[in-house]
Amino acid sequence: MDDYAFQLYNHIVKMFWRVFAILLGIAVVIVVFPYVKSVLVMFVFALLLAVLLNPVVDFLESHGVHRGLAILITMLLIIGIIAFTVSRIIPGIISAVESLSSKLQSNVITDLNKRIETFFAVHFNNAELARNVTSKVNEFGLKLLGNMAEFFKSVGGFLASVAIVPFVTFFIIKDIRIFKRELISKIPNKYFEMSLNVLQKVGHQVSKYIQGQATDAFIVGCLSVLGLFIINQVFDNPVSQFVFIGMIAGVANLIPYLGPIVGAVPALLVAILSNPPNLGVVLLWIVITFVLVQVIDNSFVSPMVVSKSVDMHPLTVVIVVIIGGNLAGAVGMLFAVPVTGIIKVTATEVIWGLKNYQLN
Amino acid sequence: MGNPIWEVVQFRKKRTDEDIFKILKNVPTFSELNSKELSEVEKIIHRREYKKGEPIFRMGDPGLGMYIIITGSVNIIEEREGESATTLAVLKDGAFFGDLALLDESPRSASVIAGENSEILGFFRPDFLDLLYRKPRLGIKILFSLSKVIGERLRRTNEQLSALKANEGYTNG
Repeated sequence: MDDYAFQLYNHIVKMFWRVFAILLGIAVVIVVFPYVKSVLVMFVFALLLAVLLNPVVDFLESHGVHRGLAILITMLLIIGIIAFTVSRIIPGIISAVESLSSKLQSNVITDLNKRIETFFAVHFNNAELARNVTSKVNEFGLKLLGNMAEFFKSVGGFLASVAIVPFVTFFIIKDIRIFKRELISKIPNKYFEMSLNVLQKVGHQVSKYIQGQATDAFIVGCLSVLGLFIINQVFDNPVSQFVFIGMIAGVANLIPYLGPIVGAVPALLVAILSNPPNLGVVLLWIVITFVLVQVIDNSFVSPMVVSKSVDMHPLTVVIVVIIGGNLAGAVGMLFAVPVTGIIKVTATEVIWGLKNYQLN
Repeated sequence: MGNPIWEVVQFRKKRTDEDIFKILKNVPTFSELNSKELSEVEKIIHRREYKKGEPIFRMGDPGLGMYIIITGSVNIIEEREGESATTLAVLKDGAFFGDLALLDESPRSASVIAGENSEILGFFRPDFLDLLYRKPRLGIKILFSLSKVIGERLRRTNEQLSALKANEGYTNG
């Protein structure tokens, strides 16, 4: 009995220290996180970029190009493309923002309010209802503009801190195998084969998932740009900066369920603010375009390019997007679903490893 | 004049690399490779140390790749539930095992336990497949040598089976 009591005591003490260590770890993470948040976000971004560029580097290497040179060529190419796109789009965005603010000064919202009031006065003969609706519209408009300013501020801050990303990406692609081998070499023999196998499977699944998501976002972006281009041709350019707006739609598509709505909002906003004579029809066509893009994406593109192993329940998506937003703002919201996907794949593979390897 | 400490370190590293090259060269899977190709293989192999009695892998585990013994020895053991373990073979310095796992993830057909403190090299399927994609010429060379080893093993098994059948026929007749 004494022996049993001693064993139980030992067990309880061990359990206590384990729980204490876990709680201490969580506390350290909570305390340290605000200080390393920007570095962490930057590293995650570099890692994502490395995963996206690695297939190109591997392809060049398989055709006899030295790996270092292959990375350099790929990086220069991608930096060139980004620089060209930014240099073409940024001046356009600046001018669009200028014209937007001048339009706001010319009381587009007041004009819209007047229209709504007249509409309610004519059709419902209810001035109070009209006032309520217009005040809600005003409130929504101000809130939306405030949120947009906050979003661009956070994206701007993020862009400023990612100047170092290409540098980090270069070394991740170049030395990823050395990092992996070093990491694996520290693992005890008992877990060695399982860890190596699981690490490889996780790496493969995650790469496939990220590459699939990026391809999907690119195709959705292109389709949105095409749709908005056609609307512009038919309705005398109601959506200025349609390339940028289409790209936002593509990137927003990374967030399932919520992304397509987020992607359509800028186009609708720009159309409302440009205030064309047939605004209702234009808005309807913009909505139809984005619904059509989603139908094409969900029926053809997504099933072909995005791995099904990370399917998520809509509720999970909403929760992780909110958590991502709280942790790292707009960028956090954008990365929340892919990061959760990565965690899900990792957990699945670790469970597979624990089930299939004898660790006794 | 160079720093003597670093010269010693570099000399030791070089000598170790050369030792590994020599060991790899004696394994049929890598025997056709030149020194440049061997150095590519050396970049992706894992060097592990096992204490006496420590399992390298267990029967039934998913196959992951092959091992080459640098020093020490290992016991190939068949473990059946409810039965005592049977030692099928003892492998020593320079021997290799588990090469079929370079081709697929089929469960290991036996356990391998270190017979004494051993230093072992591991060459694994994920790294091999990656090499095959990045350096197809080198990958194909390894794959071809591996096919020859497996073909040779199949031929010997067939011969033994034929001999066994002939023996059975002789006994029955």
